[in-house]
Amino acid sequence: MTILRIENLCKSYQMGEVEVKALTDATFDINKGEFVVVLGPSGSGKSTLLNIIGGMDSPSSGKVFFKGEEITGFDEKRLTEFRRSRVGFVFQYYNVMASLTAEENVELAMEIVEDPLSVDEVIQAVGLGERRDHFPSQLSGGEQQRVSIARAIAKNPELLLCDEPTGALDYDTGIAIMSLLRKLNREMGKTLIVITHNSDIALMADRVIRMRSGEITEDTVNLNPVSAEEIKW
Amino acid sequence: MAKLDLMLLRMIKNSKSQFLAVLIIIVVGICVYTSMNMASDNLGHTLDSYYEENRFPDLFVQVMGVPVQETERLQGIAGVSDVSGTLTMDVPVLSADTERRKTLRLYTTKGDPRELSGSILLEGRPLSQGRKEIWLISQYAKANGIVPGDEIRIQVSGMDHTLTVVGVVANPEFIYLIENAQSIMPDESNFGVGYLSEATGRMIMGEGQNYNYIRIEYEPGVDEEILTEAVEEQLKPYGINSVTKRENQLSNAIMQEELNSLTMMSDSLPFLFLFTAGFILVMILSRMVKNDRLKVGVLKAIGYGNKPILLHYTKYAIVVGIIGGLLGSSLGMALAGAMTKLYLEFFNLPLLRLEFDITYIFTAILLTALFCVVSGIIGARGVLKIAPSDSMREEPPKKGKRILLERAPFVWKRFSFSRKLVMKNIFRNKKRTIFVITGVTLTYGMMMFTVTMPEVVDQLMNQHFTEFQRMDYNIGFYKPTDESAVGDLYHLIDIDYAEGKVEFPFELSRGHKKQSVNILGLEKDTRFYSFKDAGDKPVYVREGGILLSENLAKSLNVGTGDNIQIKSFLTEKTELDLPVAGVIKQSLGMNAYMEIDEMRKRLLEEGMVTGVFLDSGDDAISEKLLKAANIASVMSTQDMRDVYEEYMELIIVSIGFMLFFSGIIGFCIVYISTMISISEREGEFSSLRVLGFTKMEIFRMIRRENNMITVIGILAGIPVGWMFCKYSSEVFSTDIYSLDMMPTLGTAIWAGVFTVGFVVLAQLATYRKIRKLDFLQALKNRAG
Repeated sequence: MTILRIENLCKSYQMGEVEVKALTDATFDINKGEFVVVLGPSGSGKSTLLNIIGGMDSPSSGKVFFKGEEITGFDEKRLTEFRRSRVGFVFQYYNVMASLTAEENVELAMEIVEDPLSVDEVIQAVGLGERRDHFPSQLSGGEQQRVSIARAIAKNPELLLCDEPTGALDYDTGIAIMSLLRKLNREMGKTLIVITHNSDIALMADRVIRMRSGEITEDTVNLNPVSAEEIKW
Repeated sequence: MAKLDLMLLRMIKNSKSQFLAVLIIIVVGICVYTSMNMASDNLGHTLDSYYEENRFPDLFVQVMGVPVQETERLQGIAGVSDVSGTLTMDVPVLSADTERRKTLRLYTTKGDPRELSGSILLEGRPLSQGRKEIWLISQYAKANGIVPGDEIRIQVSGMDHTLTVVGVVANPEFIYLIENAQSIMPDESNFGVGYLSEATGRMIMGEGQNYNYIRIEYEPGVDEEILTEAVEEQLKPYGINSVTKRENQLSNAIMQEELNSLTMMSDSLPFLFLFTAGFILVMILSRMVKNDRLKVGVLKAIGYGNKPILLHYTKYAIVVGIIGGLLGSSLGMALAGAMTKLYLEFFNLPLLRLEFDITYIFTAILLTALFCVVSGIIGARGVLKIAPSDSMREEPPKKGKRILLERAPFVWKRFSFSRKLVMKNIFRNKKRTIFVITGVTLTYGMMMFTVTMPEVVDQLMNQHFTEFQRMDYNIGFYKPTDESAVGDLYHLIDIDYAEGKVEFPFELSRGHKKQSVNILGLEKDTRFYSFKDAGDKPVYVREGGILLSENLAKSLNVGTGDNIQIKSFLTEKTELDLPVAGVIKQSLGMNAYMEIDEMRKRLLEEGMVTGVFLDSGDDAISEKLLKAANIASVMSTQDMRDVYEEYMELIIVSIGFMLFFSGIIGFCIVYISTMISISEREGEFSSLRVLGFTKMEIFRMIRRENNMITVIGILAGIPVGWMFCKYSSEVFSTDIYSLDMMPTLGTAIWAGVFTVGFVVLAQLATYRKIRKLDFLQALKNRAG
């Protein structure tokens, strides 16, 4: 069942005095419960694509449908509502609130949705039971990323969007995080889109969309996805 | 607690010094608002109750002498509810200290508790009729250490009288104890008031069955103008010296002025603080939002809308406003009590009831809330512009632009690298630069106003007593006398030069505008007065015209060349039309001046004088004139100056407070902006550290930026200070004195010194932040 439909998506924006064409004519579908990796080098437009899918940015042209509803036509209020109830974000640099503890960071997201998961369940699921009362400055990078993931899933979203989730982590921690994301995808049934420049991570995905210079160059189905523990980079 | 609120509390905790700085400004502003308003209310209520309980009259008429039965007839005028006649006279006190003349104003009292302007017996016992006993006004008794049971000696018409002090009293006519409008400030040890029983008064002062001072009370709601005219008409045959309405009675007029300026201060000063606090809040919040760009983006990505995020930042302002409002109004309430007591003590008013008007607390909190919410929204409105996707990207570098100075290579090349950095930072962070410049400008302006104040009072005294009027002594006679009396004085004291004078009250009018003032008759080529008009051109008294002081001309709405009507309170000469020959600058008092011969001929009697101005090196004038029969008063310019010196010490205390308040504003603005600047530029400073700059060198760079901004702020502050002074001159000038607050080079320099002092203090306080900054961490940080 298609949960997300992308149609002829284009995006260009102004960076200082330069106009950057970040995305050109991207079109694809994503099914419910799928684990999709968007693979590409830095500057290939994958973050822009993710931001538009997540309702954080608007395209210059083209459409995005979530469960058949066009979100690219949403106003600011409906986009906020979409982000609030349907999407969970995980960022490369975690972006957790420095002034809140791990648990409070998770609760920050839970407060704005009607039917969140239980905080204990989420904290346990990401393996932060012992560190829940610690502030980000007292946590390692991997632990902070776990907080970020917990915060994303606590709202019980249907779509989990991860922007280079292992980009700032060491190898072992990266593996652990990918394993966690895979677990959430498989056990909780969350549709997972991970963007990365690490092609080894693509081995874990059900589908791999390759991008270069703002264009989709390849969209392949991975018939034998491997577990996180099996990959190396 | 909502997690956003928790973040807010922790945000406040992490930036507590900034929070505290804004809080201090709000607390001070609200404290001033509450305490001054409550003190002003309490003082006003106390004054009203005091006047009511002691039956402060509506009209005071000084006459040459009116028979007792005539005062009873006044009672018959419809609308007059009570009349009381009394005898009054200024007499010298005989004491061991003969250098300075002590004067006692005697009044007779019937001892009736319902008497108009009744005295309150604070100590001692009632007066016994016919015995040589006296009540003394408490200020004079206290200043001279006199207690009931002591004796004082006075001289009346050349005869010594020893009176036993049997009571110390307070009286509504002398809450502010000054001899006359020219005295400006109380000299409690040398001028006092004494009350005698009527029998004793008549025995000492004579006057047969006459009164020379009438107090009149009107029924509520009557037309006072019409009644006053009726009273004047009835008393005119007995020679009216002066008619004073309640609002012009000297002590009352000064008290009302005091109340007015208190109200004015309490209405304007807090707003200055609240505006400053609002200004700082806008700066803090806009910078905070800018720094929290990523945090705001993440919150939006999670699903928070604009409103809750905007509210999150606005709450910072609301929290500081509520805490400031509560603390400020509580402190203000506590201070209001002390302030009211201080005022009442200063004015010798009994504390009747201390009221704490709770509405001021509500108003204060509402005011701060309003200021803070508005500042909060203005400051945090940047939240609305942050798009979550943009916030995830590094901010594009600012458009590089050459600053204006760089276009002058001759100048630019002469700067060192670090100085160039300083210049670029000043010109590129325009908002911050404007914010600090405004703060320093405001501080300097207030400082200039504050330091100009004592200088102006000093100038006012100097100008009035050395330039405007130049006599060493001003001698007043009890009764008008022949001008040969001037010559007689040469036999009693060593006189270098003397001129006779006439001084009488008249009613001056033009159209429906009226003013009762003293007209002074002066020699054509008087050496004792030097009149100048607004353009500093000399003006002289000449026949066929009258000179008016600026405040008098303003109140009558006349100018040079206009005709005014002069109405005499005396019987013989009634009304006269004269053109205004000039409008002159006069700092103290409100007067009109005429050529003495014309004044005598057309308004009084030829050859008469009411006093003498003289120059003399004789140090014992007071002592020598003590026994002269017709000498009512001897005013020495030097004595006035001495009293003023004492008074200045009091002024210095309030100046100190004002300097402190002005300084707080400057300190907080410079401190907060520097702290923000340091936080914003952690990355830049870290790079400089990597390049090898020391912490001290970085601090010096910030210091140089602030120094340059301070110089600009001070330069901009000069016209602002000038405007403050100009505005205050108009607002604080009264009928009694005219302020002309013109800052001088000296005051400008002092204001600069104080401003720089507070800026330096603020910078020293920020050095700690530089020292504690973890530069390496700053390079690594990506804030969340």
